[in-house]
Amino acid sequence: MILTGNKISEEISNERICIEPFQMDQITTNSYDLRLGNKYLVYTQDVIDTKQPPTYEEKEIPDDGLVMKAGDFILGHSEEIIGSNHYVPLIHAKSGTARMGLFVHVTADLIDIGSIGNSTFQLYATLPVKIFKGMLIAQVTFWVPEGKIDLYQGKYQHSRGPQPSRTYLDHVT
Amino acid sequence: MILTGNEIKKQVSESNIKISDFSNERINPNSYNYRLGKELKIFTGTDSLGNQIFEEVTIPEEGFVLEPGAMYLGVTEEVIGSSKYAMSLIGRSSLGRYGLFLQVSANLGHTTSCHRWTLEIYACKKIKVYPLMNIGQVSFWDNYGEVTCFGKTYANFNLPTETVEK
Repeated sequence: MILTGNKISEEISNERICIEPFQMDQITTNSYDLRLGNKYLVYTQDVIDTKQPPTYEEKEIPDDGLVMKAGDFILGHSEEIIGSNHYVPLIHAKSGTARMGLFVHVTADLIDIGSIGNSTFQLYATLPVKIFKGMLIAQVTFWVPEGKIDLYQGKYQHSRGPQPSRTYLDHVT
Repeated sequence: MILTGNEIKKQVSESNIKISDFSNERINPNSYNYRLGKELKIFTGTDSLGNQIFEEVTIPEEGFVLEPGAMYLGVTEEVIGSSKYAMSLIGRSSLGRYGLFLQVSANLGHTTSCHRWTLEIYACKKIKVYPLMNIGQVSFWDNYGEVTCFGKTYANFNLPTETVEK
C-alpha cells in the first residue's frame, strides 16, 4: 500500500516519517515534492572502475542555474533530509522534470527502511536542460512494509549533500 | 505491501520465493542483492531487415568496460522467482550513482516467473564491471487479487535474451 499525502503529513506529526525541512505546500496527493539542493558532484576519471574509489569534484549550482547538456551525468541531492523507520520510501522524478528529458535516478528508486539523510539524485539529461537550486525536481512516496523490520545500517546512512558511489567497499571483505 | 528483508528470508524458507545460492549476507532491509552473471550480449547493429543484432561475450575475471551510449543485455547470476509475490528488479544505488542503468524502464517481474532475469544495461559513463559483483536488487510485493499466469515469454530463458517482439 502507498500512503496518501494526508497520511504522510500525519505520520510526520507522529514522527514516523522524517522530512526536514517540511512544508505543507510540498505535499501532493500521493507523495511529497523534493527540492534540489545546491551542491553537485562530477566524476573526473575517464573510466570508472567499480573496484576502486572514484575521483570527483564537488561544485555548487550557480544562482542563475546550471545547464546540463544531453548526455551529461551528475549527482545532485535533495535539500530535505528524508527517511522513515516505519515505511519504505521510493524516489521518482516529478512528471515535469521527466518531461524535460531529465532522469533523477537511473536505476535505484528504492530507499532502505531506516535510511535517513539527503537523497542523492542521479541526474542524467537526455535533452539540454537548465536546473536551479531549490527547484521542485523529485518526489518521494512511502510504502507499507510487511514483516519484521531491521533498519538500514549501510554505507550511505546520514548522508549530507550528494554522495559518490562506494561500490568499491563491496569488494572489501 | 513490500516485504522486509526478514520476510523475504522467511518466504524463501517456506518456498514461496525462490532465490538460487541464497545468502543471508545479500539481504537488505527491504530487498535482496543479486549478482551479475558472466554472460553478456552487446548490440552491434541491425541486419538488412532492420532486426537488432547482439553479439555474445563472456565477462572476464579482470573486468569488462561498458561504453557509454551502447546497449548491453546482461543476466542475473541467480534464478529468482515467486508464485506468490510480484517482483521489482532494479540496480543498486551504488551503480546508479555511476550512471549505470540496470533496467531501462521495465522493472516489473511478474508473479509465477522464475528464471535468471535479463538485465537491460546502459552506461552513461565508461565503467568497468566484474562477473558476480553485486549489481542490483530485487524487492517483493504483495498481490491484490487472484493470481493467473497469462503466459510466459522471457521467463522461459536463463541467458541474456533480446526482444522477441515482431
